[in-house]
Amino acid sequence: MNKPRQQLEETIYIVDDDAAICAGLCDLLESAGLKTQHFSSAEGFLESWEPEMIGCLVLDVRLPGMSGMQLQSKLLESNIALPVIIMTAHGDVPMVKKALKSGAVEFLIKPFQDSELLQAVHQAFALDRARRQSDLVVNAIQSRADALTERERQVMEFVTAGLTNKEIAERLFLSVVTVKLHRGQVMRKMQADSLADLVKMAEKLKEPPTSGTLQH
Amino acid sequence: MNSRSVHIADLVSELALKPTAIAGIFVLVALLWTFPLQHVIAYPFVFLFFGAIIGSAWFGGLVAGLIAIAMSYVTVVFFFIPPLYSISIAKDSRSFVTAFLLCGFAISIVSSSRKRAETAIRNARDELETRVHKRTAELERSNLEIAERERQLRLLTEAIPQQIWAADVQGRIEYCNHDLLEHLGKTPRELQGEAFFTVLHPEDAALFREGWDAARNSGGRFEVQVRIRGANGGYRWFLVRGVPQRSTSGEILRWYGVHIDVEDQHRSQERLLSAHEDLSRFRRTTSMAEMAASIAHQLNQPLTALVTHASACRRWLQANPPNVARATAAAESVVQETSRAAEVVGRVRSLFSKTDYVREPTDLNALVRELTGLLREDAIRRGVTIKLSLADELPNLAVDSVQVQQVILNLAINGMEAMSVVPGPKSLEIETALSGTHEVMVTVKDCGPGIAEAVCDRIFEPFFTTKPQGTGMGLAICRSIIEEHGGQIWAELGSKGAVIHFVLKAGL
Repeated sequence: MNKPRQQLEETIYIVDDDAAICAGLCDLLESAGLKTQHFSSAEGFLESWEPEMIGCLVLDVRLPGMSGMQLQSKLLESNIALPVIIMTAHGDVPMVKKALKSGAVEFLIKPFQDSELLQAVHQAFALDRARRQSDLVVNAIQSRADALTERERQVMEFVTAGLTNKEIAERLFLSVVTVKLHRGQVMRKMQADSLADLVKMAEKLKEPPTSGTLQH
Repeated sequence: MNSRSVHIADLVSELALKPTAIAGIFVLVALLWTFPLQHVIAYPFVFLFFGAIIGSAWFGGLVAGLIAIAMSYVTVVFFFIPPLYSISIAKDSRSFVTAFLLCGFAISIVSSSRKRAETAIRNARDELETRVHKRTAELERSNLEIAERERQLRLLTEAIPQQIWAADVQGRIEYCNHDLLEHLGKTPRELQGEAFFTVLHPEDAALFREGWDAARNSGGRFEVQVRIRGANGGYRWFLVRGVPQRSTSGEILRWYGVHIDVEDQHRSQERLLSAHEDLSRFRRTTSMAEMAASIAHQLNQPLTALVTHASACRRWLQANPPNVARATAAAESVVQETSRAAEVVGRVRSLFSKTDYVREPTDLNALVRELTGLLREDAIRRGVTIKLSLADELPNLAVDSVQVQQVILNLAINGMEAMSVVPGPKSLEIETALSGTHEVMVTVKDCGPGIAEAVCDRIFEPFFTTKPQGTGMGLAICRSIIEEHGGQIWAELGSKGAVIHFVLKAGL
């Protein structure tokens, strides 16, 4: 996890079985200077999926085989946080609700204005960037945490759980002085300015990664 | 051995002792009477001894007769034929004695044979009598058996949980089992003759009579499903089945019938029918919705592509410097997608417009009558009476009969559905009339809640409906069919219920 990722260029992944729509969307997005890639089915997208893919997904609901909504659920289950834009020719309220609840950035009813799509794409890109930013922070914390010794990790766990030095010493059968020493090491290695800072870092470490892997 | 000796003793007594005793008694009596009488008349012994011989032969048979002759001969010769008290016979008396003997033989034979004949006759009569007695007893026994069997059969017919009847050749009820009488709540007398028809549902009476008459004429089986009123006043569906009983020569003696309660079957069949109707209605509405969705989807796809390509085209041109090559390609795509959308519209149009009508001379009255047959089941189920009032003579119309029938059917079903919310008698009227000289007007009237004045003009518009399950297409299709035929359809605000008219021009 600590090894830096070979990030790909931000891309809009379009999944629609209608070739003309794919072509139109690609044309429009390219005219806005964006990079696109299109798939004719949900299965085709999943096959090409790599954790390094960044940007967003533009998804049609009605697809042959796995539907757009099913693909969205599958990504959610697999902890893949690629932002999703749903589009359909016949959206009803429950469908829109479900899609937005599952974290879709936007729900577009075909035919839509170019500005609507571009706005949604930019919103999605911003979201993805924030995600990656937060992933980077987490990764940095994670690499610092990985540098801790076993004893230091234990001490950090107790400290962030709110225990006093004395209590930790009793739990680990150490002297209070030793605990204080370990605690100083933890603060230094984790680059934490305060106890509150350390607690925040511990919280972040518990979050699952946002670009999970697919179980094929 | 013992029985044999008894038998021999019987034989001896029968052949010797009894005849001898009988002959002896008769001869002795004759002798005793002869002594006094010989002083009164000449030769009295002749009569008395002949009497003794007759009596002996009568009572003792031929043997006793012969013994009596022998005894009489000895006695007469000894006592009365000179020389007296001697068994010798005077010469001049010999012919007399011979005659006496011959006569004795003759009467003995006659008497004994008469006696035998009489005995034989009596025996025969006795035997006949015993036989008659026996036969009478046998007859009585078999009569009893028949009565018992009939009683058992009756018990059986009473015990069967079915309603059974028997009728004579004319169809008059002779017998009804307990179950039938109990269900009808009538006595056998109350069901005789035409009275039986009073328990039938008025609508089914004609059907029943038709079937019954046909069966009686043809002598075949008779089977009909009718509603029969029970003792509680409610009607239930029954399968009435009748079979003729024929004599050996083939003529019908009587009819046996059974009533089988098929109410439950009828109910479930009705439920099935109604479920089927719901299903087909549901299918109609869903297919309409599906079709609309499909059309929307098919149109939206090219439109979406079109809009995106057009937007892209504008963007390529607005870029600095403008990317003319990409803009041209995008514009090309716009053209392609536009024609694709137009194609979809064309397909939808061709789906809904049917231009190949079949026009053939059609008798509207015949068409309406045929339709009434189609509606009969439905009408009975809904409790609707269909009244026809058809014009006497109508010109044949050059129309697509299937489509015109569809129009009337649609109007009739609409009417019946509208009346389902109205209590009381429900009747649907279908009229045909000559309107002017070249037009035929058909009117469908119901007695439902009618058409509100506010919507009167809109009911023929597509997708306009007042029914929760309606598609709003029925009357729209009716109008399109009628107008396709160059006719007109309109609704009239009747005093009670909805009235729809349409006119069609007579064919040239």
